[in-house]
Amino acid sequence: MIPILGLAAGVLLGLLFDPTVPLWLQPYLPIAVVAALDAVFGGFRARLDGIFDAKVFVISFVSNVVVAGLIVFLGDQLGVGAQLSTAVVVVLGIRIFGNAAAIRRHIFRA
Amino acid sequence: MGASLLDAVLAETLDPAYAQAAAARAAGGPRPTRRRRAALVAATMAVAGLLFSVTYDQAAAGAEGREEVREALIGDIQRESDASDDLATELESLTEEVTGTRDEVLDNSVVGQRALDELDRAERGAGAVRVTGPGLLVTLANADPEADEDPVGGTTAEDPRGRVADGDLQLVVNALWAAGAEAVSINGQRLGPTTAIRFAGEAVLVDFKPVTNPYEISAIGDPESLSRKFLASPQVSALAFIAETYGLRFEFAREDELTLPPASTAELRFALPPADEPADTGSDETAPGPDPTPGG
Repeated sequence: MIPILGLAAGVLLGLLFDPTVPLWLQPYLPIAVVAALDAVFGGFRARLDGIFDAKVFVISFVSNVVVAGLIVFLGDQLGVGAQLSTAVVVVLGIRIFGNAAAIRRHIFRA
Repeated sequence: MGASLLDAVLAETLDPAYAQAAAARAAGGPRPTRRRRAALVAATMAVAGLLFSVTYDQAAAGAEGREEVREALIGDIQRESDASDDLATELESLTEEVTGTRDEVLDNSVVGQRALDELDRAERGAGAVRVTGPGLLVTLANADPEADEDPVGGTTAEDPRGRVADGDLQLVVNALWAAGAEAVSINGQRLGPTTAIRFAGEAVLVDFKPVTNPYEISAIGDPESLSRKFLASPQVSALAFIAETYGLRFEFAREDELTLPPASTAELRFALPPADEPADTGSDETAPGPDPTPGG
């Protein structure tokens, strides 16, 4: 319950205060969101599996976001930013799908 | 290798660190306090939520900003083209006024009347007066976009060969002149003796004003002989073949009544004083010379 409250509080904070993101950081926001989604779904699934661990969750969240951003940044410097973004989105997307399917099996037993 | 990489991505959707941590806990490792863990998770989730909403805001603001800039530019274009239309209307009425005054003044003397007759002929030739009569209406239009064109990921650029070029319009206009047309206009832009039809980027300019697809070319003349001679012209058959090949629309129809506006007034470049200056009319009135060859 508490994690969901935290998520809602974060969304509200963002909508209410409308923080300005530095221009150089803006291209990495969408990819960071996908990485964050992956970590959140992974954490939720681990919780349902009964093996959730706060330390693993926090570290996987931070490293996911940072690494995804770094990969895209590196790609931008090398001129393959768009392709690397696609690669990151594909891999994380597959993982999100797999975790969502596992969560579905846990909840609906199907 | 490729298959095993895909297998790994597909099978291992959960971070293996969770299983390792669970195993370590089962083996009796250290456990952090419950409260600290809950706070940590909540804080991370708050960061995630913040990330979601900020990104959403950014994307929405970006789309909105682009739309606003676009609207502003369209507004600018419309305002300027309205101003240009107003000025053109004003110019037309002023020209009419000048012509009226000139005719009035010239009408007062025999020399003036002769000059007026000559002027009338010259103006007719130069396309400076509005004309009405039966004629031919030729329509040229760009090819329709391919029906099976993929809107997603497909090439959105249309085939340049499916567009009407300035040369096509020149060809039709020349064929119409050759067929005996007395006056020609494209989309309401009357063609005078010095009017140019040319390309600027992707737009066709007639007399330096843009005209857009579809192009309607009106020609005044005897519809019967005009259409007969127009169709007999070899250039027109060539254009018809091109239109057939690339899907251009190329049609013509006989019209009982067409009205062509006057062409834009030519600049006065050449003038001669009358041979014998009459005392009763304004002596500084200039009449076009017998051979008004443009100086430029």
